[in-house]
Order: sequence, then C-alpha cells, then structure tokens
Amino acid sequence: MAAAISIQGLTKKYVDVWQKQEVVAVNNLNLEVQEGEIFGFLGRNGAGKTTTIKMLLGLIFPTDGDATLLGKPMGDNEVKRELAYLPEETYFYDSMTGWDILDYYARLFKIPEPERSRRVQICLEKVRLQPDAWRRSIRGYSKGMRQRTGIAQALINDPKLLFLDEPTSGLDPIAHAELRDIVASLKDEGKTVFLSSHQLADVELICSRVAIIHRGKLLTEGKISDLVAGDYAEVVAQGKELNSVIGQLKEFAPGSEITGGDTLRVTLPDDEKINAVIDVVRGAKAKIISVVPHKRTLEDVFVETVRKEDGS
Amino acid sequence: MVPLAIARQTVREALRRRVMWIFLICGVFLIALGPVFGFLSPKDSQTVLRSLGLAAILLAGLFITIVTCIYLIPVEIERRTIYTILSKPVQRFEFVLGKFLGGFAVVFINIAAMGIVFLLMIRFQEGKVPADMYKGVFLTFFQMMLLAALTIFFSTFATPVLNFFMSFGIFIVGNLSSVTESLTTSRVKATQVAGTLIHYLLPNFGNFNIQNTLIHPTQEITNPDVFIRQNILYALIYSAVLLILAVIIFDRREV
Repeated sequence: MAAAISIQGLTKKYVDVWQKQEVVAVNNLNLEVQEGEIFGFLGRNGAGKTTTIKMLLGLIFPTDGDATLLGKPMGDNEVKRELAYLPEETYFYDSMTGWDILDYYARLFKIPEPERSRRVQICLEKVRLQPDAWRRSIRGYSKGMRQRTGIAQALINDPKLLFLDEPTSGLDPIAHAELRDIVASLKDEGKTVFLSSHQLADVELICSRVAIIHRGKLLTEGKISDLVAGDYAEVVAQGKELNSVIGQLKEFAPGSEITGGDTLRVTLPDDEKINAVIDVVRGAKAKIISVVPHKRTLEDVFVETVRKEDGS
Repeated sequence: MVPLAIARQTVREALRRRVMWIFLICGVFLIALGPVFGFLSPKDSQTVLRSLGLAAILLAGLFITIVTCIYLIPVEIERRTIYTILSKPVQRFEFVLGKFLGGFAVVFINIAAMGIVFLLMIRFQEGKVPADMYKGVFLTFFQMMLLAALTIFFSTFATPVLNFFMSFGIFIVGNLSSVTESLTTSRVKATQVAGTLIHYLLPNFGNFNIQNTLIHPTQEITNPDVFIRQNILYALIYSAVLLILAVIIFDRREV
C-alpha cells in the first residue's frame, strides 16, 4: 500500500524577537500514513498538531524537512484537488447559507453546473444537515450544524485525503456520535483520513494507527492494538494465612505483596492465571476481596507516554 | 475562474457592510443637495452643482474604497476563513487578484451609482449633460481603482488601522503633486532627494483631478483625450505593479 502522507524531518521553529528565544513547534517529525487508513494524530493543546497540518497544507512554511501528499510535494496546487481540510473551528461567512457556502467552495474547484449543485446536495445529505436549514443563514446554525457544514465542505471535491482537526469537539452526544460515524464511514469509501483529536475514545474506535506528539516531538506511533496491548488483572484478598502461600503466589505473579499484615495484592500480566491464584488463596482460607480485570485504553497509553516524557 | 469566484464572494460580503452604505448615502445626499446649495450660494448654481457633485463622488469614493479594501484580506485571516480557501486549489496570487477584483467591483458599483445621480442632477438642472462631466466621473473611478490597489497592497502586511492611515496619507500626499514637484528643485539636498522620491515613487493621485477645468470652462486641458488616456494607462500600470508586489509579499506570508 502506498503512503498517502510521507513526512521527513519536518521542523517548524518560531523566533520570539522580544525575548530572543527560539520556539520549536514541530521538531524533526517523521511519519508515514498509508492510503485508505484513518490515522489518529494525538497530542495535548499546543503539541504541534495543527502546526503540522498547516505545514502540510502550505498555509505556513517549514523551517526544515519535507513531506509528500499522495506522492506529490506538500503545498502543490494540483495535489490540493485531492485534499480536504476541516479546521479546528469551522469558520464561515455567517451571512451565507449552508448551500451558498458549499457552492462557493465548489466554484474554487471549478466544478461546473449542474454538477456543482448535485455535489452540494449530496454532501449536505451525507452529513445529515436538515434540508430546511440548507437555505438558512449560517448565523442561526447550532455548533453541530456548523460542524456538519464544515465536513460537507471538506467532501465537496470527493477528496482522497482528508485532514480533520477536532471534528467532534464541543458537540452534544448525539451529534458527536453521528459525526464520528460519518468520519468512520469515509474509510469504507477508500479515503485516507488524518484525524487530529482529543477524543481518545473516538480515535480508539475508528482509527487503525495513531501517533502521539508532545512539544513538537513524535513520542510514539503504531497500531492501536499494539499500543494498548498489556491488559492485566488485579486480585485483592485478606487472610492471616496468606504469608504461608506468598512464595507459591510469586511463582504466578512476581509482584505479589502483602500489606498491613493480612492483605494480599496480586497483579497478573494476563487473566489466564486468575483461577490458579484464587485456588491458592482459598486454600489458605483467605477471603477474596476483589478480582478486577484492567483493560488498557488509548487514554492510558497517551497519559503514560506523555507523563514519561515529562518525567512525572 | 477562481479569482472571479473569490471576487464574487468579496462583493457579496462587502455589500453587506453598513459603513459602505452610509458613505454611499452621504455621497448621494450631498449630490442631491447640489441645486439647493446652488440656490443659496452667491456663485452660479451650475458651478456649485458641478463642484459639489464631483467633490462628493471623490470623498465618498475615497472612504468607500479605503474602508472596503483595508478589510478584504485581514478579515479572511482574522476569521480564519482563509484556511479553508487556501487549502483548496487556490494559488495565493489568485486569492489576492480575486480580492482586488471584488474590491474594484464594489468601488465601481458605488462610483457608478453616485455618478448616475450626479449626471441626472446635471441633466435636470442644465437640460443636457456635457461630455466632460462623464470624463470627470470616469477619472475618479480610475483614481479609486489605483487607491484600491494601494490599499490591497498594504493589507498584505499591515493591520487595517495602520493601512487606513497609510492609504489615506498617501492619497493626500499623492494629491499634492504640485507641492511635491516643487520639492524636487529645492536648494536643500535632503529635501530635494526626499521630494524627488515622494514625487516619483508615490502614486500621483492629483493627475486625476480635473474638476477645475470641468467647473470653470475658461480653464482648458490642451489635449484632453491624450491626458485621459495617459492617466488611465498610469492607473492600470501602477495598479498592476502594486498587485504584483502584493502577491510577492502575500506569497511569503504565513496564515
């Protein structure tokens, strides 16, 4: 599978003239996104996500490094025919209607009539914007309606590669779920989506791979299934005889420990040995307090990765 | 086609701005008051109507051009609508050109509207419209086109407030070409150099003002057709140069 996005050593530095400081917004970023995948680009506020996207789209210029989009240099005007961008906030001309906005953007792609009107209608229907709102001023749109219009404008040219910056932020649960499903459905159409988001549950649900960026530096990237591997289970028991079986338990779980004289805490790297641990604990006439399976989530991975980098 | 799509959108947005309508209404109102002032003034009513009408078109046109054009590019950056536009297959020169064409169209609509009212008033008062009156309106239009190009040029790097003062200031200085010309022959070297730079580098807006010859039939331009053609050519070339410079600057600007 070919790379839809290939980034080599992309760097963006800003110079603070007054404080004579150099701020590195993106630091030597290397990344590949394959065609047809939904790729999650994660990071805290100010991590460098939007800066990266803006460089890829030619809105700002890199200090160093290079990138190709669909095999062509970033910023190339021809490749923009195949791209779409939904900014973090959907900025529109408030006095225009949803239909007029899409019509305007379709004109920028030189889509002639009647194809233009057909595409506008298809896109508005796809994002499930109510038809009675199509000819209404955007000024009266809710946040969800604006976001739907934003996604519709991104789809107007039937793009191969979409950059979506926080497409579901600030939406009510229903709108959130609907827009997430729309984004997920883009994969079925063979489109590549570069999704920058804080909604880690969404990312885990719809993305195949992710990258975590922090202070402009790429910390990790990979398949979500690989990153969240490492589920574990925790068994807590209480009993005075547990000291006599701790050696036996450490064979299953080296991290087993007794605290407070009679409370056993066993952490198992997987849940296969839970029954064996429970048998030993019962044999020592101890009481099982809890058995909790812990499933690692993308949020765990994100928090651990970022904290580790910060040294906290 | 892309610049035309941007121009179309620019006109739609600009026509929604109330401040532009206020200047247009003031301009039309002043022109319409011409016969009343003519009646009250000791000068002959024809002179009053002509001078007041042309001055009203110039003043209202000046403010409409500046307040329209200073915002065309900055507002797209401030509202971040530019992200969506430039991420589409739109070259930066197409964006600047589209904005200029949009601003130019707005100025044209306004000058045309005031011009029509002015010419109707002349016809109403004098029974006919002398051909020179058309020329007066026509040259004001090209003067404003040049001002629009200047304002668009500044808007690629300056804030709207700064742009307002720079454009307005240069328009004033550019109208004082007889003064700046006299500085080029100053005995003080520094004044002479500064005067020469100002006189030849800044756009000569004063050349477009032919009100005196239109108002006072005793004053004549030797060859009016050549004069008008030269001024139109001057406005076109100077505007083109300003737009090229605007594109060069905007091409390097991060948004």
